[in-house]
Amino acid sequence: MPSDHLSNQIRRLRFDNDEMTQQQLADKAGVTRQTIIAIEAGKYAPSLPLAFRIAHAFGVPLEDVFQYDADGSGPQKDSSR
Amino acid sequence: MSKLQKTAWFHLAVVIACVLIGGICFFALTRMNAKGVGTIVVVFVVACVSGLGTYLVRRKRGFEAHLDERERLIYKRAREWAFVATIALLAGICIVPFFILGGQSVIGVYYLPVIFLSTLFAAQFVHSAAILVQCAREDDDAQ
Repeated sequence: MPSDHLSNQIRRLRFDNDEMTQQQLADKAGVTRQTIIAIEAGKYAPSLPLAFRIAHAFGVPLEDVFQYDADGSGPQKDSSR
Repeated sequence: MSKLQKTAWFHLAVVIACVLIGGICFFALTRMNAKGVGTIVVVFVVACVSGLGTYLVRRKRGFEAHLDERERLIYKRAREWAFVATIALLAGICIVPFFILGGQSVIGVYYLPVIFLSTLFAAQFVHSAAILVQCAREDDDAQ
């Protein structure tokens, strides 16, 4: 399921959290590394429980990790990098 | 390579081996017995079906529990592809000979277990292939 209207800050948050690897995040969220890669690349929209688990792994609110683009004008760019 | 991909490769290898061994054995046995209904053929078919059935049931148990939600989606989609392939194959096997041979022609009854087994193997083949194709596509996108 592609996440056309969903953008995320996972890459930046991983970097901010002592350069957490995708595997470490996957272990914390209880999924495979391939799933983290797919989410990070915007190829897969996670379920609500998984989105919360990812946010919990970073210790931030859900909206800091995922943003919904209601206009449908495409995923937002990560402006912090 | 994820566990799902490894399992799909393994299943693909098992199916190909089953088709090759089963096909050769079935061909040899039906040629040995012209009527094709010898005890040995019945035993072979029953063993083949029960073997595949046991394998499939054992595989289902607990296997999906180890998949995460994305892998379950891939798995479910692959099952849908396998279902479509099964229907298409069955339609092809049953309808094409009807048009080619004609409605009044006669075919050997021993073709029936062959049709049944080939449908099962084709479904498993498509299922495994569909998983690998989906994973390969995602890998390409991620690069």
